[in-house]
Amino acid sequence: MTFAIQTRDLGVRYSLRFTKKTSIRRSFSGMFRRSGGERSFWALREVSFRLDPGESLGLIGPNGAGKSTLLQTLAGIIMPSEGVVEVNGHVSTLLHLQAGFDQELSGRGNIMLAGALMGIDHRVMEEREEGIVTFADIGAFIDAPLRTYSSGMRAKLGFSIATAVDPDILLLDEVLQTGDEAFREKSHQRIGEVLAAAKAVVLVSHDMSWITEFANRAILMERGRIVADGKPAEVVALHMEHSERRKMMRSEALAEMKSGRRRPGRRKEIATDLPDRTMVSARRERPGP
Amino acid sequence: MDIASEAPASFRSSAHRPSSASLLKDAFREVIGRQRLIRYLISADVRRRGSDTILGNVWWVLDPLLQMGVYLILLSVILQRSTPDFALFLFSAILPWKWFASSITDAVSSVVRQERLIKQVQFPKIVLPVSAIASELINLSFGAAIVLVMLVLFFPAHATVNVAWLPVIALVQFLFTLGLALIVAAVNVFYRDVGILSGHLIRLWFFLSPSLWAFDSAAGRFGAIEDALGEVGVSLLRLNPFAILLTAYRDVIYGRVNAAGDGFTPGQPPDLVALGALGFFSLGLVVIGAIIFKRLEPAFAKVL
Repeated sequence: MTFAIQTRDLGVRYSLRFTKKTSIRRSFSGMFRRSGGERSFWALREVSFRLDPGESLGLIGPNGAGKSTLLQTLAGIIMPSEGVVEVNGHVSTLLHLQAGFDQELSGRGNIMLAGALMGIDHRVMEEREEGIVTFADIGAFIDAPLRTYSSGMRAKLGFSIATAVDPDILLLDEVLQTGDEAFREKSHQRIGEVLAAAKAVVLVSHDMSWITEFANRAILMERGRIVADGKPAEVVALHMEHSERRKMMRSEALAEMKSGRRRPGRRKEIATDLPDRTMVSARRERPGP
Repeated sequence: MDIASEAPASFRSSAHRPSSASLLKDAFREVIGRQRLIRYLISADVRRRGSDTILGNVWWVLDPLLQMGVYLILLSVILQRSTPDFALFLFSAILPWKWFASSITDAVSSVVRQERLIKQVQFPKIVLPVSAIASELINLSFGAAIVLVMLVLFFPAHATVNVAWLPVIALVQFLFTLGLALIVAAVNVFYRDVGILSGHLIRLWFFLSPSLWAFDSAAGRFGAIEDALGEVGVSLLRLNPFAILLTAYRDVIYGRVNAAGDGFTPGQPPDLVALGALGFFSLGLVVIGAIIFKRLEPAFAKVL
């Protein structure tokens, strides 16, 4: 059987020299200082997995673990700095499709623009147009410029376009709960249909009920590496356990920092155990004497 | 279901560094293969320009006319310049210059403006500067119509069949602009300073090009510039691509001002040797620009 997605020793390195977001720079400054003054950091490292058709993979992990970077790499948006990604089939990213919207084009114009951005032939898109318009259900606004839309209407149109794409491999970032109550119900059902139709799915979510409902395999990522890979229930349990530990250590460290008992040199010990961004930046803001 | 697609379905990405030739081939294939996308982006661009202002797209014609009016007043009233048919003299150079300046200004920000999109959808980023340049091409056609009307109605003494050279000169300018646009659009992602700096450099470039003055003529007090720059400076000024382009435009539309600056010979063919050389240079610039853009493209999503 041929695979849907395969990665081997995948690594993605960000150069901090060109990262404009100073907050991110500050957050990670502790990390690259420790690795010998290198002005870059690895968002993903040694990620190897294989996804077969029929599998629906849930990606979980704390903020900054590399889930979104992995999704972007699988979509071909980001190129690997080392290793290989192989994708077998047509990929669709149900990310914020509203990102591609143009304010001046009409709803219909934006349907065609989104299709063109995703590389779908315009004839196929023309065939699907009516279906998308019907599902979005925004009435006469479909022919008005997008800048006249309410945010609810935008979300509906974005969702309708995104789920009309019919891909082999679906990459899903948690953005799909949008619109009013009635639309949400309709969209939940639609997601189920799209997931069932796709050959393979990769799903990122912080909502563990999504993972257990829609995924039949889960991967836990921490600090850019795969920590666990297996049945959703087990991996979710491990993730919960790790988050608990992180939370406890964070409050402990904070309390000790406030009381001033812990010397700066010793803070590193907790950090190397299970560091995350908040703790690293907390250490940086209070330099030792 | 089999999706008919303009983009490759399966792919394999790794850290290897592609050759310049394959990058160039990719760039070419992407622009040809994504014509639809480019067309949609252009139509969005034209609409945006039209809806921001009350007069809409009329501004594109009005803007260079007003600019010409300002220079006309400044130079002929305040500085007492007496070049014959000075309005046509100015307009034949200001219009192509405006085309260049607004193309570069649009192209510089074309990639960074789509930050959100680039991070969320995989598509060839080269369509962004290309569509920015192409939508300015549409605007130019309005301006060109005005020039021709002006020439026939108000300055028939200048008009000759040599205006037929205009598309050739415009093509050379288009290639030059495209090459430069690809480079500045890509580099601006890494150093936003390019965007700020380019506005000032373009203004300086305008005054160093024969826009308000002409070579070999008293028109525009070129004598003063000549004295200030010396012989080497003037030779360098003649190598400036816009010295060749603007002179060519003025040759075919206005003709030539005589040395004293008080008479003119009507429209004549451009200097084909200089124009041909610039054409080859511009083609090379497009090739280099496309390679630089494609080389930097993989990093866009990470840096933005």
